[in-house]
Amino acid sequence: MAKKVAIIAANGGLFDAYKVFNIATAAAATDAEVGIFFTFEGLNLIHKEGHKQLPMPEGKEHFGEGFKKANVPAIPELVEMAKEMGVKIIACQMTMDVMSLEKEDFIDGIDVGGAATFLDFAYDADVSLTF
Amino acid sequence: MNADKLLDAKGLACPMPIVKTKKAIDELEPGQILEVQATDKGAKSDLSAWANSSGHELVDHQEEDGVYKFFIKKG
Repeated sequence: MAKKVAIIAANGGLFDAYKVFNIATAAAATDAEVGIFFTFEGLNLIHKEGHKQLPMPEGKEHFGEGFKKANVPAIPELVEMAKEMGVKIIACQMTMDVMSLEKEDFIDGIDVGGAATFLDFAYDADVSLTF
Repeated sequence: MNADKLLDAKGLACPMPIVKTKKAIDELEPGQILEVQATDKGAKSDLSAWANSSGHELVDHQEEDGVYKFFIKKG
């Protein structure tokens, strides 16, 4: 049976985005079924405009040079890749309500759901991660 | 070693070599060999781990002038 990886993305910076999408795309590349629940600041990572300009942690801006040098893919590229590989993206309805965000504020192809939606996916996951 | 397909992943950083390898191997038939060329230093452990968890076999790997060459047999 296929492996299953359940991820919670709860933080919204550039480093957080790499942690989430690198593991998600790598897992999808091993034929795992991958689902990510984006909640609170994590919603930044799939926000239509926000995900293209994620902030570096304060005082770490100098790593920008390193990202270029290492030829690390841009986040929008990783997001596209994740979607193309069938990674399931779930935005947290409650956080969206708190922040007055609509489904249209996010990248295309997402699902919106609550804690139970994620848990239903995660209960039989082989790996679960929180970032 | 003769490969049925060559993937040039030179210059790519994690996780792209793995992602591209997965896409390339999907186009092969079981038993065929994919050659992957990469410069990412992490690719060495990553590609053998990937093959292991994806049901493929890393049959050979070489290093030449900073380029890692991997030969993967589709499972």
